[in-house]
Amino acid sequence: MAVGPNAEPDHGSAAPLSFARLITAAGFLLTSFPLGIFWFAVLVPPILLGVFLAAGWVAVMTLALALLWWTGSPLRRTLGHGLALISAPLAVLSVRGAQVERRRLAGSLGYPVPAPYRRQPQGTILDRACARAEDPAAWRDLAYLLLLLPVGALGFAVVVAAFVAVVGTMTLPAWLFVGFPDGAPLWREVRIDTLPEALIVAVVALPVSTLAAYLLIFGVSRAHATLGGALLGPSKSARLAERVEVLTESRSRAMEAAIAERRRIERDLHDGAQQRLVSLAMDLGMAKEKMAEDPAAASGLVEEAHGEAKRVLSEIRDLVRGIHPAILTDRGLDPALSALAGRSRIPVAVDVRLEDRLPEAVETTAYFVVTEALSNAAKHSGASEASVAVWREQAPEDRLVVEVTDDGAGGASLVAGGGLSGLADRLSALDGRLFVRSPKGGPTLLRAEIPLDASGETYRKS
Amino acid sequence: MTGGPKGDAERPVRVVIAEDSGLLREGLSRLLADAGFEVVAAVGDGTRLVAAIEEHRPDVAVVDVRMPPDYRDEGLKAAIEARGRVPGLPVLVLSQYVEEHYGAELLESGARGTGYLLKDRVADVPEFVAAVRDVARGGTVLDPEVVGQLLSRRWRDEGLSSLTPREREVLALMAEGRSNRAIAETLFVTGGAVEKHVKSIFGKLGLAQTDTDHRRVLAVLAYLRG
Repeated sequence: MAVGPNAEPDHGSAAPLSFARLITAAGFLLTSFPLGIFWFAVLVPPILLGVFLAAGWVAVMTLALALLWWTGSPLRRTLGHGLALISAPLAVLSVRGAQVERRRLAGSLGYPVPAPYRRQPQGTILDRACARAEDPAAWRDLAYLLLLLPVGALGFAVVVAAFVAVVGTMTLPAWLFVGFPDGAPLWREVRIDTLPEALIVAVVALPVSTLAAYLLIFGVSRAHATLGGALLGPSKSARLAERVEVLTESRSRAMEAAIAERRRIERDLHDGAQQRLVSLAMDLGMAKEKMAEDPAAASGLVEEAHGEAKRVLSEIRDLVRGIHPAILTDRGLDPALSALAGRSRIPVAVDVRLEDRLPEAVETTAYFVVTEALSNAAKHSGASEASVAVWREQAPEDRLVVEVTDDGAGGASLVAGGGLSGLADRLSALDGRLFVRSPKGGPTLLRAEIPLDASGETYRKS
Repeated sequence: MTGGPKGDAERPVRVVIAEDSGLLREGLSRLLADAGFEVVAAVGDGTRLVAAIEEHRPDVAVVDVRMPPDYRDEGLKAAIEARGRVPGLPVLVLSQYVEEHYGAELLESGARGTGYLLKDRVADVPEFVAAVRDVARGGTVLDPEVVGQLLSRRWRDEGLSSLTPREREVLALMAEGRSNRAIAETLFVTGGAVEKHVKSIFGKLGLAQTDTDHRRVLAVLAYLRG
């Protein structure tokens, strides 16, 4: 296979704990502290002011509400709006800070955190600011920025301590001459007072302190990143809401794909087999009429009917195979795809690397991805050959990957209503995705990814 | 090679039919009986097929792939099982779809007396009857569609690409189990011309020339399945 397994970049790479990463992590932790101080200083005054104003506003409005309540006046809503307006500057400020922090987390720690905000409404700056204030994500940003001070202080302390420990052990022998002429105290009565002793201790202690520093810095930066992910990323309910949105959409797309499929089958049966059967019945009817008076003509008609019947058979066979190939259920993807390749009008090389059978829905969808891709290659792109590769990969998620390449003219795209978008719809029902790379002049690469974890926890990854 | 009652003199070819559709079972029985076969049993599922074969020891079994209880490949499995119990049993498997994979499984259980045809071929009565007789005699008959799949699977093969179009045609017919005479009739050429083609094909593919049609088919199939 000439096609590599990575047609598009994948997130969530597990890079090794390199020295460069250690330095950037330490830098991140060191800068978190001053940033924490900065945000604390910037945010606390507006918080206090906001609390003060809000208290006053609530007091005023309570009074007004008491008067307006019985009228059911829409003025009631002003209370909420007033509070939003008071807190809006704070929310906008928090979001700004959080955006910087998200960039820092992604850049320095390699920990991308998706922005969790609700969609901003159209309208005046005031409307948008109010919407920000009503977005819980903005308040979680604020919490993170306030926590940045203690967390940043801790990280700062850890980096400094780690640095001191490593440098301290490295320079241990020198202390004998500088700070401790009588020997350095090691443990209660034990003292290091000769140079060889100091060297031995330094050699033994250096790896230990280096490793400890290493682990501490990575541990704390990891913890910081986790905190960032929890507060700056989408909350569980926001993730679920997004997941519901995706599911609703994919469900309706899958429904539409199923309906379109039924329409196609109806059309194929109607235009093909049904017409042929009509003509067959007609031939036989005429033959029956002529049997007595003109046996020669009758025999010709029967001959014709015989041919027609055989064509109907082969047409229905193709149609039924297109609905669901029996060999796929019986023997799995490899034999089914090999048979498909064998029937293709252009030569197709098939490379399927699977150890086990997969869920039927996955196998069927993968099969139809290849069917569609090969029929496109043979019909539209004028390809002279194609290749199919199917394999299962574990990282970044357990999934089935199907790639079909052809050497045709390219220019395939996911236009609405086309065969490829129908495929994307079928894939979306399984949380699968379709990628098409088809520059003008070819070659065309079609890649489908179908997740295989049945736990239903896929929303975590998006 | 058309089937007539006089084909095998005194003793008619004894056949067991396994086909779950009653309509088709009756039709096949009538068709084969008309052509001079003796239908000793006609059953509707795999278990009864194995039992009927053990009981009657027929000359050939004509078996549908899809049968109860799961309507998948019970017929194929039953045929292979029956061959385990009655070694050398000639079997002609009929299927709504022919897939090279099934054909390969069947051939693995023994290539002598093996047929694998698309069900549609029943419509061409003389050819179908000839195929049943061929299999009963120990021949190998493969559907052109299976051969097509085998050939296209090996499209990159050096030996195959060195064949002329005519030689490819001859090779396909050989793989279907046709004799030189049958190939000559199909292609409207003389027997000598076919022999020349066959010789050239065997040379190009590096196959050893064999005397019998049957072993020649096996050599070609073995090559195509590579």
